[in-house]
Amino acid sequence: MAATAMLEPERPIVHRLPQHKYIDAVRWLPQLSPFDRFAVLATFDTDSGSSSIEIHSLKPNPLSLQSHSSFSSSSRVSSLRASQFLQKTVVAASTAAGSLHILFSDPADARFESEVSVPEEEGLHSVPGSCVDLMDGGVECVTVGEDGRVNLVSIGNSNLSYRRLFDSGGLVSYTAAKWASPVEFATGGYGFSLQWWDQRKPGGPVSQFKANWDQNFSAGIVHSIDIHPSRKHTCLAGGSLGTVFAWDLRWQQQPIMLSGAGAGAGNTGVQSISESEVWDVQYDRCIKSSATSTRILPAMICSEDGILAVIEQGEEPIELLAEPCAINSFDIDRHNPSDVICSLEWEAVAILTRQ
Amino acid sequence: MPGVASDTVGNGALVPFSDDTKDSLAVYPLHHGLAPPISRLAISWSRGNSLRVSLFASPSSSEPSSTSDDQSGGKVLEVKLGVGDPEISDSRWRQIAYGSVAPFALLQSRRSALSAMMNSSSPYQMDWWEHMLEYSKDITSLLGGPKLPPSPIIEEPTDIVKKGEEPTCLKAAWELLEIFYADKQSQAWLPERLVDWLADYDSLFSSTQETVYGKLALFQKELVNIQVIEDDPRYWQVMSSALSVGWLDIVVKMLRLHGSYQQDQLSNRELENGLVEAVAVLISKTPRLCHESTIGKLGELFKSKPDFIKAWEKWRSQITKLDCSPFWIQCDNRRTREGLRNLLQIMLGNTESLCSATCYWIELYISHFLYIRPFTMGIESMYNLAQKCIQLKPPSSNHKLTGLMIVILEENTEVVLAESSREFGPWLVAHAIELLTAGSEQAEIVLHEERDNLGGISMIELHRLVYAQVLSTHELTWQIAPIYLTSCMKQGMGLLENLLYRQSVQHNDLLLKNIEICRLYQLDHISSDIMKVAGVYHWKHGHKGAGVYWLQQSQDTSRLNRIAQQLFDSVGKSISDESFKQWEGLIELLGSESKPAGGLEFLHKYRDFKKSLQQVYSGKSMDAARQAVVSLLLLMKNPSTPQRFWLPLLYDSLKLFNWQECPLLNVSEINLLLNKLQELSSARLHPHFSEPNLPAEALSSIRLALATNLGRAILDE
Repeated sequence: MAATAMLEPERPIVHRLPQHKYIDAVRWLPQLSPFDRFAVLATFDTDSGSSSIEIHSLKPNPLSLQSHSSFSSSSRVSSLRASQFLQKTVVAASTAAGSLHILFSDPADARFESEVSVPEEEGLHSVPGSCVDLMDGGVECVTVGEDGRVNLVSIGNSNLSYRRLFDSGGLVSYTAAKWASPVEFATGGYGFSLQWWDQRKPGGPVSQFKANWDQNFSAGIVHSIDIHPSRKHTCLAGGSLGTVFAWDLRWQQQPIMLSGAGAGAGNTGVQSISESEVWDVQYDRCIKSSATSTRILPAMICSEDGILAVIEQGEEPIELLAEPCAINSFDIDRHNPSDVICSLEWEAVAILTRQ
Repeated sequence: MPGVASDTVGNGALVPFSDDTKDSLAVYPLHHGLAPPISRLAISWSRGNSLRVSLFASPSSSEPSSTSDDQSGGKVLEVKLGVGDPEISDSRWRQIAYGSVAPFALLQSRRSALSAMMNSSSPYQMDWWEHMLEYSKDITSLLGGPKLPPSPIIEEPTDIVKKGEEPTCLKAAWELLEIFYADKQSQAWLPERLVDWLADYDSLFSSTQETVYGKLALFQKELVNIQVIEDDPRYWQVMSSALSVGWLDIVVKMLRLHGSYQQDQLSNRELENGLVEAVAVLISKTPRLCHESTIGKLGELFKSKPDFIKAWEKWRSQITKLDCSPFWIQCDNRRTREGLRNLLQIMLGNTESLCSATCYWIELYISHFLYIRPFTMGIESMYNLAQKCIQLKPPSSNHKLTGLMIVILEENTEVVLAESSREFGPWLVAHAIELLTAGSEQAEIVLHEERDNLGGISMIELHRLVYAQVLSTHELTWQIAPIYLTSCMKQGMGLLENLLYRQSVQHNDLLLKNIEICRLYQLDHISSDIMKVAGVYHWKHGHKGAGVYWLQQSQDTSRLNRIAQQLFDSVGKSISDESFKQWEGLIELLGSESKPAGGLEFLHKYRDFKKSLQQVYSGKSMDAARQAVVSLLLLMKNPSTPQRFWLPLLYDSLKLFNWQECPLLNVSEINLLLNKLQELSSARLHPHFSEPNLPAEALSSIRLALATNLGRAILDE
């Protein structure tokens, strides 16, 4: 069961690696040497009830993951990001208890060297869930939560300081966040709502996305957002009912549907690859789009019904994986976009290499 | 708990005991770290197979040392019952559980497709065997132990026992069931498959008794210390044992270690070497019935039975001829001579030789198949043979695999199930029951028959339910329990509903996974209930937006109505000030008017009204004022606008009524508003009417403004 290779030309090579622990989240670490590959896994061991954030190194022949360095977390990780800052690898993890951990590691040996955190007692978020995004270059984090708080956390070498940008007092909950620029970011929440924020303009979102959804269509929850660095005005979102849509700030009222069960009526060009929760969405940097600049760039999604696929506006979706269990998160390697790592519900990690 | 009392002994160890189990009393110390004495103890069931033990220190003892932090007043411990399977860890069991979902589901869907056709004539029946075998092979591959590092390419000549993957009893049991029940095509060479089965799993029996495998492994360890191998009696013993259970490769390999093969000795031991080689050749030419698992093994393979029988007779005559050969007298090495002739006796099926070469009854049984009755047919005669072997070699201790083998030969399906359940647990039974139904029509009837003593369910359902319950108790495997529950006709759905209701609603991920299962099995009423629970949970914990969302999803209008009342209270207070921004998101969430919002849709219009009113106040705009009037009228006409908002709304609109340039409302519109005022004053007499928080002159100034506007409107018209 260690490695299953599918050898048809267009199919990716898939390695399924059982971990014997639940994988809460998974990310590639920025690659600094061509010989060493590392991934960071947030795991939960049900036998001991302990959570940890682990760096695993990728070993070839046969492909396997080897635990390399580990940090034990007080509570389960709800979201995980990795970035690079001043020759150091930075890993940010928000937990279900509302704490935030920032871990630094030396890229040479990929071991955790130091950690700074906002403990749960400080009330960054009240339970239950929170989500973090780390700015590229890693000096600042945004954390949002179901409690309706939006925090900006600046990362220092030995401490973290945070300020609350907004608190809806629970009237609005946020379930996803993504930086668009050093001062702007987007958030998502219930009812497929999206908000656009600007640090310079506190007191509330700068812009809100108001879709005129079909009357029979029940809007769900946004689970993940991505923003492409070359197109900061477009916000890609994935959520319930297999829905993936893009919100162009310049045409605010109408979402651009890319996939989803509710996309059907009047939107004949939209294919739906999944009907359940889309847990994660990222622009696919591997596929060179043939599309003109007006089209949305190709995106990769993973879903509760076990689908990992690439969708492109007006094209047939490309299914990369169809698992019997949910795919809860994935990450595309920035330096080798053909490599994808994803976490499977059944205590395993899958690594795909696209030809 | 009757019959079980607890006492504290020594350093606070807990000792369970009852009168009738005093002999088998086991003491397990609990390390709770509390200073004795323990004043109170409570034991209750926790999740799964564990107990929750709550210990309370006696208050008097903890008081004096209350200054130190490590002294706590009590402790709660989880005690896992049973050490689990020493062979298979918990996480490995979960991997097996995950992996068996797909083959099981595939088999069920094929079965229902088959029964839909209802045409179980022979061609479909034929297919069905293949499906069953495919299922069995899938499960077998799943049970394959973790791969060991690849063996060195250059084999040591002395490396006689090869270690493949680590065998497990579970896999051995599964294969045994497959051999007897699923693989109908190889039924003809069932003994042949048993030979292979023992070759794979003989090592497992070493835990309870001496085995040929154990002997070989021991001999291999000592091999390096032996100078002249053929002078060592163990060399010949071990070889005869290996030959008796048919491990031809090993025997031939060992024979070639014989000293007479060495270059310097070849010349003066030519005859001796010739005899050794002759036996080795005969062994490697042992005729065997061809089967997929015999490929790559020594022996001559025959596909058809007549060919095999012919070859067998010929092979036997060759052995007899060699046995009577005059060369034996000329061979002057006594040990070689006796050892080789003993090997010949084994091949000729000499019962005494076989009996002394083998270690326990299954090995003897297998040697019978190989050398005495290679054509044994029918389970009944196999059973009789087994009985005979047990008599010859009475078992000193019981191994779970020998137990399983005996009950299979006894041909009682129910006993097989009971034995598998007792020794190998619910996973094996729930999955192997499919193989048993394939065994015979009679077995299928027995297993599918609904029984009153089981509450009207069949054996097959019972065992699936038991397995599903095991899955349900673990937080990672509960999601696969529905696959088994939905295959249970009688009680599966009820238990599935229970399972789904029981899951926590706190975390969105888990909640959504739960709802997804409801969607898959079209349990809309359950998902609606779960969403209601989630809505109320979030509302109570102050996540108002999330609460409204889930109640909307479940279309729970009555609860939305009720929480709407609570929302209005805070709306009335906060809508004028800055915090209105917080409301905007919630109003967005309420979505279009077509959706159930329990009166909350009024907030939409209120928001529009407030927005245009703000524009009116910030700068003079005729359009904004007209827009505000439209919103106001919509609000006042709408039946969902709560009555207590009427007066504040009108009071906010005073500027509109007193518009300088022209009257903004026409006569009929003014009349509508006046009627509302009238309604309001009669409602005031109602005992539950709550007075809005407005200046005392508010009502009169509204009346005055409306009257003024009315007058100007009449003039205009």
